[in-house]
Amino acid sequence: MRTAWAVFAKDVRTELRARYALSATFVFALATLAIVSYAVGPFGGRAELLAAFLWTVLLFAASAGLAQAFVREMERRTWLTLRLVASPGAILLGKWGVNLALLLATEAVVVPMFLVLFGVSFASLPAFLAVLVLASVGLSAAITLVSALLAQARSHGALVPALAFPLIVPVLMAAVTGTKRALVEPGAAVTELRILAAYAGILVALGIVLAEFVMED
Amino acid sequence: MVWRWGLFLYMSAVTVAAFLYAPLANKLFEQTRIIYWHIPVAWVTVVAFLVCGVESVRYLRSRDLRHDAGAASAASLGLLFCALATVTGAIFSKGMWGAYWNWDPRQTSIFFLLLIYAAYGTLRAAVEEPARRARLSAVYGLFAAAVTPLLIFVVPRLFFTLHPDPIVNAGGKLEMHPRMFQVFMASLVGFTVLFFWVYSLEVRIRLAALRADGAWTGTGKDRAA
Repeated sequence: MRTAWAVFAKDVRTELRARYALSATFVFALATLAIVSYAVGPFGGRAELLAAFLWTVLLFAASAGLAQAFVREMERRTWLTLRLVASPGAILLGKWGVNLALLLATEAVVVPMFLVLFGVSFASLPAFLAVLVLASVGLSAAITLVSALLAQARSHGALVPALAFPLIVPVLMAAVTGTKRALVEPGAAVTELRILAAYAGILVALGIVLAEFVMED
Repeated sequence: MVWRWGLFLYMSAVTVAAFLYAPLANKLFEQTRIIYWHIPVAWVTVVAFLVCGVESVRYLRSRDLRHDAGAASAASLGLLFCALATVTGAIFSKGMWGAYWNWDPRQTSIFFLLLIYAAYGTLRAAVEEPARRARLSAVYGLFAAAVTPLLIFVVPRLFFTLHPDPIVNAGGKLEMHPRMFQVFMASLVGFTVLFFWVYSLEVRIRLAALRADGAWTGTGKDRAA
């Protein structure tokens, strides 16, 4: 756990120096948001459309910005050193933490912009925030896992979204219906939250168990 | 050879029985007949993905490419049967509900499965070195196997679905005419045997290809990572 934290801290520090992944995620989110907003205008209206727009924007941003976690270690030739000092599970946890932080940081800016651009008001803001956070956990977990797998394959770049997408779809479906419900219903979107939590739990637990096999060489 | 002809005759007999022997179910009209194909095919899909998961675990433990060949064969057959289940389901959907596709929770979850196992095939195509391909796809296969039960058994129960109750329904009761049940079980057995037969052929083909490349000797000592 302490090694995982160290990996996390190291990555956050390098990220704050270069802001490579952060700007990639952020610019991507902003561009998608601009396109959607330009096409629809401020009166996008219907809840299911708004939910779909929001998650399209976040999915694009996440698959553009979060896929690089492992490949960059390979490119900088720091991968072997990292493997020497940290266990596979700790590396995976650390990288996943960084990706989650990146995604949440992007959301902290993009989601308010989204709300302003589309003039959205929620029936239940806490429910929406819970859906947002839990879905981000699942989203970042799936992308981190797949990018760890593909760091060892050739032509990884294009493949990360292709392989992560099937694992992400359940998260997105639950996130979209959860968001839709938070827009129109006062109560908590309990079913969706339970699915999101269970799914994120499965991905993370299995990821830690299997990390050893992924990072063998 | 005898086996193959036996299976052919058996499946033919089941097909004939499905049309002539089994009665129609309440409110399903002629659409009833599809259950003798759709459900067994969907069942085989689940079995195939189960086999894929088990073989993935066995590969990671033993590092014997034999199990990787098993996982790969099961996944590719699973994809085929999954496609068949999707198509037969869509036909049933058109007959019963008026549209081929309406994102019913069942249709949604089978769509995920198609995506997952198509991605599994993509991953296999992207890695050339056999041992590495085996290792990475085993890990992905396990992820897939872990989310499959959630998609098939949990999600459709949480959301409203038009899909008729599965055979093992919430009450654990079986609501089927005895004759329908006989044909249905016969078909289930037939499709399962069909799957394992094609599966064994596919494993042999894959192992032959590995052997021809010199990547597998069958001694269980090919441990090059």
